[in-house]
Amino acid sequence: MGLRNGPESFGLVSRLFHWLMAILVLSLIALGLRLSSMEPGLSNLWLYGLHKTLGLTALGLVLLRILWHLISPPPGPMATGWERLFIKAWHWTLYALMIATPIAGWAGSSASGIDTLYAETFVVPPLVEADETSEFVWFILHEIFAKTLLGMVIIHMLAALRRGMAGDGTLTRMLRGKA
Amino acid sequence: MLRPRHLALLALLAAPASAAVVDYQLDPIASTVAFETDFGPDLITGTIPLELADLSLDFDNVANCTVEVALDVTGAKASFPFAAQALKGPKVLDAKAHPRMTFASTSVRRAGDAADVTGNLTIRGVTRPVTLKAQLFRPQGSAAGDFSHLTVKLTGRVNRSDFGATGWADMVGDEVRIIITAHIDAKG
Ligand code: HEM
Ligand code: HEM
Repeated sequence: MGLRNGPESFGLVSRLFHWLMAILVLSLIALGLRLSSMEPGLSNLWLYGLHKTLGLTALGLVLLRILWHLISPPPGPMATGWERLFIKAWHWTLYALMIATPIAGWAGSSASGIDTLYAETFVVPPLVEADETSEFVWFILHEIFAKTLLGMVIIHMLAALRRGMAGDGTLTRMLRGKA
Repeated sequence: MLRPRHLALLALLAAPASAAVVDYQLDPIASTVAFETDFGPDLITGTIPLELADLSLDFDNVANCTVEVALDVTGAKASFPFAAQALKGPKVLDAKAHPRMTFASTSVRRAGDAADVTGNLTIRGVTRPVTLKAQLFRPQGSAAGDFSHLTVKLTGRVNRSDFGATGWADMVGDEVRIIITAHIDAKG
């Protein structure tokens, strides 16, 4: 079983990207919701650092994933006609949100005027200047993007499981490569 | 109230024989401005360097005492790195636009063995009256009438929102408690 995608199959690289990022994105959403609802203190301040580090990692991974798909295109949904187009558009939107969400979080964090650290060590360059209004706007966008992503991922997961139970091979080829 | 062990608290009226108005200058290295504020269930603590302190003390007439201090906001430190950046950033002290914080007394009144120092505090360019409590200490071992080296302790609290320093109001307390410990030497 190859690393590259085939006309009907997902290669190992694409599948690793998919499942690694699936876990990462779901954890990020859970962690993000925790951040926005907790009372910050010294004991949980590190969760912000963790969320930012994992979020920037997700941004890096999605860019690599797209680069990889330019080199080795994925098979495309197992459907025809408008349904195929619809699923493609859905997946593209997931990609767009996986880029837009961390960028908005990064911009909002930059606008707060505090250094954004990667892995508690490296200072990530600020995307925008420190400014309270822009901080507010970027975090609202971050929340909207992340919650839209969550909604779309839930539908995505349900659709994948439904197809998996119907046994059309969609879930199998994302798990094992071939239908 | 933490009273330095090695220092003897001076009643402000215990005038030395040669009582007069004495001008003092600050020993900036040995002096500190400490602050603390609530951060969720915890505290943020930190220091801001004293840049200048002009004191003149009248041991006969407390009302004649004057105090002027200036702090270098750009040198502020806090108990964890984010807090220092947040503190100096535009949402709190805005050190770039307002590198100095100043206090100038307008009236001094005796209060027991301490004094109430009322004055104008300027933070972020906003001036508000505040009252600080002042205590004077003499280093242990110095002669009772020797007022050439003293320690002044000024304590008080301010609401940062009064000065427009409102950043992170949902996370960080509004009330900031301040303890200035200034080591001063008589001039001349
Ligand atoms: C347990 C949860 C999930 C399951 C069961 C699942 C299942 C699948 C399956 C079966 C495919 C292949 C579709 C095809 O054959 O064309 C797929 C593709 C995809 N999944 Fe998921 N997924 C899950 C979670 C996620 C998450 C959390 C994300 C991202 C936020 C995500 C993003 C994507 C994307 C972008 C594709 C398209 C891949 C491509 O062809 O370029 N998935 N998923
Ligand atoms: C795919 C990546 C990411 C996802 C899915 C994600 C998801 C979320 C979610 C769901 C929230 C809660 C929003 C709310 O209810 O207000 C959140 C909050 C937050 N995120 Fe992200 N995030 C990601 C990346 C990032 C990055 C890269 C940064 C910064 C470098 C970041 C910084 C923050 C901050 C500071 C908050 C807290 C905002 C607040 O206090 O309300 N996030 N994130």
